[in-house]
Amino acid sequence: MPQIDFFNFFRIGLAWVVTIYATIITLQSLWGWYVWLAGSDKYVTMLRRYLILHSLRLRFWKLGLDVLICVLLTVTFGILWHAHHVIDDLKFRVQAASNVPANLKSR
Amino acid sequence: MSQQTSNPADVKLLPGGDTPAAGPITPSAQPSKQLPELPKDELELFAEEFGLDPTDYKTRQSLVAAIHERRQTIAAMDREAMLDVVRWARRPVAVNLTKEQLAKEIARIRLMRFDGLSQRGLIVLGKMRGVKIQGDEQTPILVRKLKKQEGLFKRLNRKRRSWLGGMVANMIGEEPKSEYRFLPPAEAGSPGGQSTQTATPVSAENATIRDDIEESGLIGGIANRVKKTADSYLNQKLDEIEARIDRKLDEIDQRLAEWRDKEIANRIKILKITLWVSVIVGAFSLIYSYVQVYFWRK
Repeated sequence: MPQIDFFNFFRIGLAWVVTIYATIITLQSLWGWYVWLAGSDKYVTMLRRYLILHSLRLRFWKLGLDVLICVLLTVTFGILWHAHHVIDDLKFRVQAASNVPANLKSR
Repeated sequence: MSQQTSNPADVKLLPGGDTPAAGPITPSAQPSKQLPELPKDELELFAEEFGLDPTDYKTRQSLVAAIHERRQTIAAMDREAMLDVVRWARRPVAVNLTKEQLAKEIARIRLMRFDGLSQRGLIVLGKMRGVKIQGDEQTPILVRKLKKQEGLFKRLNRKRRSWLGGMVANMIGEEPKSEYRFLPPAEAGSPGGQSTQTATPVSAENATIRDDIEESGLIGGIANRVKKTADSYLNQKLDEIEARIDRKLDEIDQRLAEWRDKEIANRIKILKITLWVSVIVGAFSLIYSYVQVYFWRK
């Protein structure tokens, strides 16, 4: 009977579900905005230009600290991900070492 | 009236045109149809706009010829002299009007007090009123010719209106004339210089009520004055409304910018919380895996 680690199962299952859900919702929303703003109507054109104008007027330095924190957190997340791979690899090697027959171990 | 020639070479030598048109003389605005094709009433109206009296011409051909002649005369006129006349009569016009538009405005001037009008202006006015002018006359002679051209009855009527205008002005109190200012230039695309039709606060102050009554009679003068004042008031109110709308638009724009900044800050905050939670769960999971590998194994 396979051994199931419920913590890992929950963690990985949740990560997949949330990632897929968030990606689908984001893409749907972006596509909706794109289709609406790509319209040739006079007022939509005006709105499109107005949005571009507003995005040009946006001052990024005001949000700089938050953006920097987000970048650092993303880097930390990447390092943790890598560390997980290293630990999993280590676990695999340890399991492999424990399965070696006893006569081979005594040599 | 008929002393002007239609020969372009002679037209260039007409008096009052020290700096005649630099290029070829071309009428600035053509009617949509050719003149001979116009209906009689339109043709007569067209003639009146150029200061011609249609009843002076027996046949249609003679009227058309007179209009042609008048347009050529106008094309040869000195623009600055025309502006002198407009300034003297305090007509609300834009400085960039064409010669024909200026001529139509001059044709509507009925003033007979020529104080302050330059010699070249008198020449233009005389030509527009159909006075026989050589071009080298001195100012007193030009004034005499213009007054002689008016006729006895017209003169008496004008004197009566002037007297009446003076009385009305005394009754309601006349403000002194302000300095003349041209209207803002008409837009290039506007047909016929529409700005002449839109009164502004400047135009309402251009002429005194006495001049108005002398020119248009008691009722007409007062009506003109009321109309100008109403136009001026309306324009002032329109300007105020426009300024209020502009202010509101600026306010809306400002609010939108604030909303945009707030919304982006909120999104980044949500993203930050998500990343914090991911990192914490990841770290916890890493510790869990580490413990599983190194301790539970034993």
